Amino acid sequence: MAEPDPTIHICDDWIHIGLPDRKMVPAVQTALTAGDHWTEIVPGLDSIAVQFDPALISPDDAAESLRDRLAGKPPRLKESENIVVIPVCYEDNLAPDMKYVAEKLGIPPISVPSWHTAQAHRVAMLGFMPGFAYLESSEEIADIGRLVSPRQLVKAGSIGIIGRQSCIYSFDSPGGWPIIGRTPLRLFDPAKPRPALLSAGDTVRFESISRHAFDRLQQGQQQ
Amino acid sequence: MEILNAGLQTTLQGAPFTGHRHLGMPAAGAADCLSLALANFLVGKPQGAVAVEITLTKATFRFSTPCSIGLVGPAEYIRINGKDRPRHETLTFAAGDMLDIGPGRTGCRTYLALSADLEAESLLGGQSTYLAAGLGGFHGRALRNGDIIPLSRTSLAPNVARSTPSNLRPHYSDDHVLRITPGPEAGKASEEILKNLCLRPYAVGARASRMGIALEGALLRGGQSSDMPSAAVFPGTIQLPPSGQPYLLGPDAQTTGGYPRIAQVIRADRHLIGQLAPGSRIQFVETTTERATDIYRDKLALLSSWLGQIKLW
Repeated sequence: MAEPDPTIHICDDWIHIGLPDRKMVPAVQTALTAGDHWTEIVPGLDSIAVQFDPALISPDDAAESLRDRLAGKPPRLKESENIVVIPVCYEDNLAPDMKYVAEKLGIPPISVPSWHTAQAHRVAMLGFMPGFAYLESSEEIADIGRLVSPRQLVKAGSIGIIGRQSCIYSFDSPGGWPIIGRTPLRLFDPAKPRPALLSAGDTVRFESISRHAFDRLQQGQQQ
Repeated sequence: MEILNAGLQTTLQGAPFTGHRHLGMPAAGAADCLSLALANFLVGKPQGAVAVEITLTKATFRFSTPCSIGLVGPAEYIRINGKDRPRHETLTFAAGDMLDIGPGRTGCRTYLALSADLEAESLLGGQSTYLAAGLGGFHGRALRNGDIIPLSRTSLAPNVARSTPSNLRPHYSDDHVLRITPGPEAGKASEEILKNLCLRPYAVGARASRMGIALEGALLRGGQSSDMPSAAVFPGTIQLPPSGQPYLLGPDAQTTGGYPRIAQVIRADRHLIGQLAPGSRIQFVETTTERATDIYRDKLALLSSWLGQIKLW
């Protein structure tokens, strides 16, 4: 089975590795973590970039080392077995765009939570803000577009949805994703040994909770 | 240390956060790491120690404890109790002294390093301020009038009296040359993109922050792609959004982006991004990765004659 080779592009202190299959990203990330030269290893949706210190290794040598690593055993597509359950309250003011999304889906707003929780989501990557997760749904989904004008303030924990992607906001920030609910969980806690709740490759299951449960869990998080 | 006038945007900044970009944690840290290193050296501190980064406008501080300071940057003047003092030299302070730092006429950011340690929030191995998420530094935010930053007297840096050699004092200008290498998407759509980027100077627009800078000048056509899967970006990456107006990323840049990455400012020149102010002009010049490495290593060799072991980011 001839997989096309990864493509690489060399900048003066980082290298872009384009991968033929986006499912390879977590495995390649793991394979590279063992290397000595990389100060950053950053997954994209279908690529990975590594950064290095050009005082210590030249770009050409870095690329050579990278090719060696990638030419070894092709990283097996080992899916992450990590399943994270994310409680979400889909109610009221925590879901300001529920009507818009329901209309796009052609179902009543009250049916959106069970529709959303029935899907398996995979964490495609983290980005935008610390711990902010981009999720891909297992289902093909109707055309839900970005908000015409982004909100100045989207609260931390908000769940957004665009097409087959969902996202979870990790901090209060501006944002343009239609919002259908909010989780009381903290997506990024720098005091923890693993600061980000989610990692690329994880499977996410959403679980619908009441407003009462949301408030209680949020209080528990703050203590 | 009491903040009497915080100015436009004054934050605590030192070394960047490293090794956490896969979690979405950006670099943050001093936008001009060279000026920071020079300032810290004047007070005997390591190059990445947390200092005060002052942006464009003037700022005023009062000290409750004696300490020494170093000021490096484009600030027009530095006054202690109203009396002009030199930049680029170790200055000493008595308790109750007032420090006035002037606005930058050219350039953008001035660094105030102290021999005493500024109390800053520690996370992920760093103490710099990351404004967008409200992390690090002084409660994760820019300083305000009336803030008091505790100074620790227990870990005073060694007593030094230094003066930066004149050949190492940065020239703060509104005209910059930034060298670039092609980014991963440079050649995908059009060979002309980089040629046009380097043809005439760009101006720094009003939309300029630690996250990034909108570049005003010739619109670049042909490189846009609306469906590029998000991929890693770094400080110094030049993106090309659909508008055709290139966007230069700064130290607080997010870790991934969905716009074509047409160019990357080389590491040796990246500290200059911290001195770009609205209205500054930038001439981009294309170079190769081999040449970029030589330039970087030569620059480090020159700086190490004064600063010792150093790196830029």
